[in-house]
Amino acid sequence: MAGGRLVKKIAFLNPPPIYVEIGQSLLKAFRENAGVELPLERLPDGRLTAPCREKTALALKKFFQAKSWQPRAGAFCAIGARGVSLRQLSIPAGAKEEFHQRLLLQIEGEFPLPPDELAWGWQPLGETKPSNGAIAKQDLLVAAVKKEMVADYQELLAACGTNPVFTLAALARNRLCPQPPETCAMLDIGNSQSELTCFDKGIPSVSRIIFWGSDVISGAADAGPAALAQTIKGSLAGTKLFVSGNKISDEFTARLTKVLGDGWQCERLEVISGEGHSAAIAGLQKCADQDGFPLLAIRVKQSGAAASMATPEVKEWAKRAVLLVAAVLLLPYAEALLLKPHLAKKVAAFKTEAARLTVIDRELDFLRYLKSSQPPYLETLYVFSKSVPSGTKFDALSLNSHGEVSLRCGFRDGQQVADFRTKLIDSGFFTNVTVEEQVPTPDHQKVTVRISAQEKPLAQLLALSASLPADETGKDGKPAPLGARPAGISSAATGAPPVLRKETK
Amino acid sequence: MRPLTGREKRTVRFAGIGIAIYLALFGGFQVWKFFEKRRSDYRQLAAEAQQLRQKIQQYQDKARVVKKLMDDFHLDPAKLKKGTVVSDASAAIQKAAKSGGLQLGPVRESPAHGAGMTLATVQLETSGQVPAVLAFLAGLNSIGFPVVVDSVQFTADNSRPGQVKMNLTLIILDFDRQKEVPHA
Repeated sequence: MAGGRLVKKIAFLNPPPIYVEIGQSLLKAFRENAGVELPLERLPDGRLTAPCREKTALALKKFFQAKSWQPRAGAFCAIGARGVSLRQLSIPAGAKEEFHQRLLLQIEGEFPLPPDELAWGWQPLGETKPSNGAIAKQDLLVAAVKKEMVADYQELLAACGTNPVFTLAALARNRLCPQPPETCAMLDIGNSQSELTCFDKGIPSVSRIIFWGSDVISGAADAGPAALAQTIKGSLAGTKLFVSGNKISDEFTARLTKVLGDGWQCERLEVISGEGHSAAIAGLQKCADQDGFPLLAIRVKQSGAAASMATPEVKEWAKRAVLLVAAVLLLPYAEALLLKPHLAKKVAAFKTEAARLTVIDRELDFLRYLKSSQPPYLETLYVFSKSVPSGTKFDALSLNSHGEVSLRCGFRDGQQVADFRTKLIDSGFFTNVTVEEQVPTPDHQKVTVRISAQEKPLAQLLALSASLPADETGKDGKPAPLGARPAGISSAATGAPPVLRKETK
Repeated sequence: MRPLTGREKRTVRFAGIGIAIYLALFGGFQVWKFFEKRRSDYRQLAAEAQQLRQKIQQYQDKARVVKKLMDDFHLDPAKLKKGTVVSDASAAIQKAAKSGGLQLGPVRESPAHGAGMTLATVQLETSGQVPAVLAFLAGLNSIGFPVVVDSVQFTADNSRPGQVKMNLTLIILDFDRQKEVPHA
């Protein structure tokens, strides 16, 4: 039940079925509400000519309009009786493999060609119950035709995006018979030839081609039916005869009954007329609607299990679903198996990189230490240059990495010393500035002083240094404020700020 | 050997089926365990790779800073050789002084004693024009060796007006001992 609902749900994904009748000189195809009829050209051995195959394939592709995203459409194909052999066989019942082997042996014995050279199919007719120690037997109807013929059709239809399955046209037509009697015959009248099939208890026993067609009907009034009747009488005793054919009228059927005489009863099979319509196609449609597929399917390649045309889409989708689920389940495992070596290589590369990280850490720490250990001598000198009065001469100036600064220089008077000291303190570079010694020169024109100072901690100095403006002189020529650092003072490798020249005269 | 009766055949058949089912289940379980272990290993490896990747990504910023500092100092610490770094640095300092137009006086090298990052101390005396002296002092940062100016003393050169003498004490740092020393 669930499967049925599933089929209904996914039905919209499936293309509509295609019905095809392949005759001697005409191929009829019907899909949904449209039909097409294509003429066929054959070689003397009955196979289609190459140009005909190409032309027909092109025309059918256009007609079928197969969508790439849809599964292949099922094509129910009815083939004519020309070249088809029918046999009723009785095979001892047994296991499936055994049964198949026996069937092959029987076919090899009954048919003129070996099974490998035949496209064949069978349908069960019933089972003979064992009695008096006899073995139970399975009765079968086997239909066979030259393999190349059906293979050509199959190749042609498969190239058009369909999934063809073949059966006998006579069997399809038989489906149209309303309550057929135990013994009857079916006559399908084509344009140039007709097909006569005899049914015994609903099973086709004989099928033959009569070279008489509807083209003759338009001839002499009784000449056509008379010749036909003579041929039919030569093959059969009086029985019920179902007549089909596109150009057949009730009047012709009545004339045929009259010509055939007593014991014969002719009945025309009602078939919708139009392009792509025929009794066989109507029978195939009925068959597909009722059973899904005709019992006797002629196959080019035999498989052990009987194929079903009604379920290929479901099977196809089921296969895809199973594959998908399997892929979802197995993909993680496959990924683990396939990608592990690759990932292991990557991890090894990462680990090598990670080993280098410690080197980066060490280098970074070292370089940071190196940077932080550089005392800002040039900045200190710059502060001196901005604080000292013009014309002052330095005798000695020393600085060290502990931030201790000492200098010895001469000033004009004590007031200049005091100003210099104040400027140094105001610069913010020093925590204390001490005038250790202030001695007037013997001529009392100058004072010689020895000053010591302590720089602020390096971090504070760097922050202060970073916050200083870029240049000591503006564009207007006015001196920059105290503490301004000339551009490039700490990084210039060559040259020096001009203001420093006066410091160390 | 007597032929087996139908019942015996059935028993053998059932036993065979049972054994086959057991083997299939057991084998299947073993196969599943094998693949599950592989998968678990792979996931572990993937997690490890992810962690390492994140760690390396964090170091990208550090690597950029290192590169900038190396460019600033013209220095690649990894390429320094402890055996020759003092002589190479001393030569580079003297070369920089000469190329800057300074006159070199006595140069004294003394190895470091005790712990710390100091590899050696170099004392040198030099004299020249003020701009050249200051340029030399500024350029010591980028001579390509880990040199720190420990102290500097300027004195007026009375014999040559316009020139100054500079006594410089430089410390050459030891990269190999960097790990042992607490950072400044």
